[in-house]
Amino acid sequence: MQLRKQSPVPNDLDRPFYDACNEDRLVLQHCAACNRFQFPPRAMCPRCGNPGLAWRDVTGRGRIQSRVVVYDSPVSTLIPDQPFNVATISLEVEPELTMLSHLPGVPVDKVPIGASVEVFFESTPATGQKVPEWRLVS
Amino acid sequence: MAFLISFDIDGTLEFGDPPGGITVEMVRRAQQRGFLIGSCSDRFPSAQRALWEAREIKVDFVAAKHMLPDIRSRFEATKYLHIGDRDLDQQLAEQAGFEFFWDHEGVAEPWLAWLDEHAD
Amino acid sequence: MAIPIAPYAWHRNREGLGIWEGRGRVVATGVGTSPTARRWDEKPDTSMGALTIAAIRRAIEDAGITPDEIDGIVLTPESTTGVSNDPNAPAPVGWDSVFKMVDYPQAGITRGDIDWILLNMPELKNVEFKMNGPVCMSVAFTTAAEAVSRGLTKTCLVVRGWHNLAGRYYVGQGAAARDTAAGPGKYGSIWGMPACATTAMVFEEYCNKYGKSHEMMAPFIVEERRNGLMNPDGYYTQHRPEMITVDDYLSGRWIAKPANIYDNDLPIQAALAVIFTTPELAAHHKQKPVYILNHAQTRPELQGAVPALNEWERASDRMGRMLYEGAGIGPEDVSFENMYDGFTLFHQFHLEGLRFASRGEKRGYALDLYQTDISIEGPNPVSPSGGNNGNGRTRWWNHRDCILQIQGRSPSQISRKAEIGISGAHVPNYCDALVWAASAD
Repeated sequence: MQLRKQSPVPNDLDRPFYDACNEDRLVLQHCAACNRFQFPPRAMCPRCGNPGLAWRDVTGRGRIQSRVVVYDSPVSTLIPDQPFNVATISLEVEPELTMLSHLPGVPVDKVPIGASVEVFFESTPATGQKVPEWRLVS
Repeated sequence: MAFLISFDIDGTLEFGDPPGGITVEMVRRAQQRGFLIGSCSDRFPSAQRALWEAREIKVDFVAAKHMLPDIRSRFEATKYLHIGDRDLDQQLAEQAGFEFFWDHEGVAEPWLAWLDEHAD
Repeated sequence: MAIPIAPYAWHRNREGLGIWEGRGRVVATGVGTSPTARRWDEKPDTSMGALTIAAIRRAIEDAGITPDEIDGIVLTPESTTGVSNDPNAPAPVGWDSVFKMVDYPQAGITRGDIDWILLNMPELKNVEFKMNGPVCMSVAFTTAAEAVSRGLTKTCLVVRGWHNLAGRYYVGQGAAARDTAAGPGKYGSIWGMPACATTAMVFEEYCNKYGKSHEMMAPFIVEERRNGLMNPDGYYTQHRPEMITVDDYLSGRWIAKPANIYDNDLPIQAALAVIFTTPELAAHHKQKPVYILNHAQTRPELQGAVPALNEWERASDRMGRMLYEGAGIGPEDVSFENMYDGFTLFHQFHLEGLRFASRGEKRGYALDLYQTDISIEGPNPVSPSGGNNGNGRTRWWNHRDCILQIQGRSPSQISRKAEIGISGAHVPNYCDALVWAASAD
C-alpha cells in the first residue's frame, strides 16, 4: 500500500535531486575533497566547507539499518494510515549515509533488519513529485 | 443490555488538562442511568483511577487509550462509545469497533437517547 | 543593536585542548525557578516573560546579592520546541499595560529577549554584557562560563524561559497539516515521523546490537519520576503528583515504537535563572559556590537524513573524553550524572559516553545498569534531578540539579557525597555539557 506522503516542494538547492527522482534516478551530492556522499542537500560540505559539491548518480542499493513503527504521526495526510513502518536505509555507496523509507508492502513490525533493499520512485499525491522509496531485494 | 462509554480525559473531561466540556455531572448521570463508564486516556491507569476516586466516582474500567479493544473484549454491551478530542481518539475508537463522539458533541449527552431507542 | 550569539571560537569541541583555561575561575551560586504551568492561559502575569522575571528575582535573592551587582546576561531566546506564534503577531490585549514593549512584539511571549527583560526589570541597571546562547540552555551555560572566565562579565545571569501555547504541541498543525512539504524539514517530514522517532530508531539499533529491550528502560523511568516528585518546583509535583509504575510504563501507547508516550517529555511553561560569578565575588554570596571545571560541545556530522548509532556513540564518546581532559578528572571521579533525558531513550547514550558507573564496559551496559540500584540512595545515582521525564520539558532541570546537589540542597539529594557532577543536553551529537564540582582542586 502506498502511503499518502506530503509532496516535497523543490527549491534551487535540491531541485537536481527531485528532478532526478522524477526521472527514476537517485542522485546525491558528493564532496571530492572528502570523497564523501551526503544527504539532505546542502550548499557546502558539512565536513570541510567545500561549496563545490557535485551531483552523482548512485545505485540506490542498501540495507535496512533500523526501523520504527509510527502510531502517532504529526502529519495529517498520514494519520489515516497509522500504524506504518519507517526504516532507515544505509546506502551501499556510503554506509553511514541514511535515507528514510516506508518500506511499502512490508507488514508493520515485520521489518527485516539488515535485509538488502533497492530504490524505486513513488509519486506523491498532491503534486505528483516523485520521491525515493525502497523495496526488499528478493 | 448495557451501553459502555469510554471517556478520554485531557481535552475532554472538565478535570482534564486542558479542561474539556464533559462534566463530572454528565458522567455521573450516565452511570446512574446504567451505562458502564470509565476512561481510556494517555494518563497512567493508576493516575486515572486516582482522578476518578478524587471525584467519588467508581468507574468500571480505566485503561490506556490504545487499549480500547481490550475494554471491548472485557465488557459485553449493545453499544460501545469513546469520546475524545483528537483524530487519534477517533482512529483508535473506530479501529476497536467503538462509536466515536468528539468532546464538543458529547456535551449534549447524546447517549441518553440510546435508552429511549432501546427501551423495549 | 542586535545581541550577539556565543562565538564559535569559544566551543571546546575537540580533543587535545588540555585543561580548560577557565577551570576554577567560574562558579554558580544562586538558583531561581519560576512556578510551572502546562500551558499559557494568555494572561500577562503567567506568560513566559513573567515567569522569566520571577526566576531572575528568585535567583538574585537566592544568591543573597543585590540586582545592581548583575553586570551580564546570557539567555537562550528560543522558548519552545513546539508551536510559536507568528513572530510579528501582536501581543494580547492588555499586555502593554503590564509590560513595556520592545520592537519585537512576541518578546516575553514566544521568545526570550534580553532587552525586554532589562526594560521590565529596571533594577538590573548595570548590565553591560549581553549574549544569546541559542537553541538550548546548555549553550547559555557554556557561553556564560566562558564569558565569566574571560572577564567579560563578573556576575552574570544565565536565563531560559519556556512557553507552551494552548492546543496540541505541533500534531496536525502548521506544516504538518499541509499536503506539501517545503523547507529543510521536508527531507524527513514526508515520512511522518513524530519528534521521538529519530531517537527511537537509534535506540532500536542499539537494542539490536547489544541484545537489549525497551522493557529494560522501566526502572530508569520509574526512578526519574520518583526523583522529580521530590522537587517542589517540578511540574509533576505541582500539578500531577502521580507516580508511574513499571506496569504503567510498559502499558504506554506507542508513539513511534520502540518509543512510547512515557518516553516523551511533557511540554510546560517554566523559567530558570542561575547566577554565575567568580570565586572571589562568590565569597559574599549566600550559597556555596559550585565550580565549573570544564565544558565541551559536539555537533552533528550531517551525513544522512537521520543520525545512526555509530554517530551517536562516536559523539558521546568524544564528549566524555573532552570533558574529562579539560577538567583533569576521570569517570571514577564523578559522583552522579544528570545528562539529558527528553527523550528518555537517549539518556543511555550520554551515560555510556561518560563511562558513568562503568566497570570496564564501554558500550551496551547502561540498560543493565538500570536494573541495579540507580536511586539517589545508591552508589550510582542516575539522573537524580528526574530530568524532563520527572519534571516537565525544560532541558534545564538536569543542570540546575548539578548545582543544587553540590551545594547539598537538592530536593533529591544523593546519599553519597556530591563532589563532581556532569550535565549536558540535548541529543548525543548536538550536546553542550559541563562538569560541576565542589572545589577546583
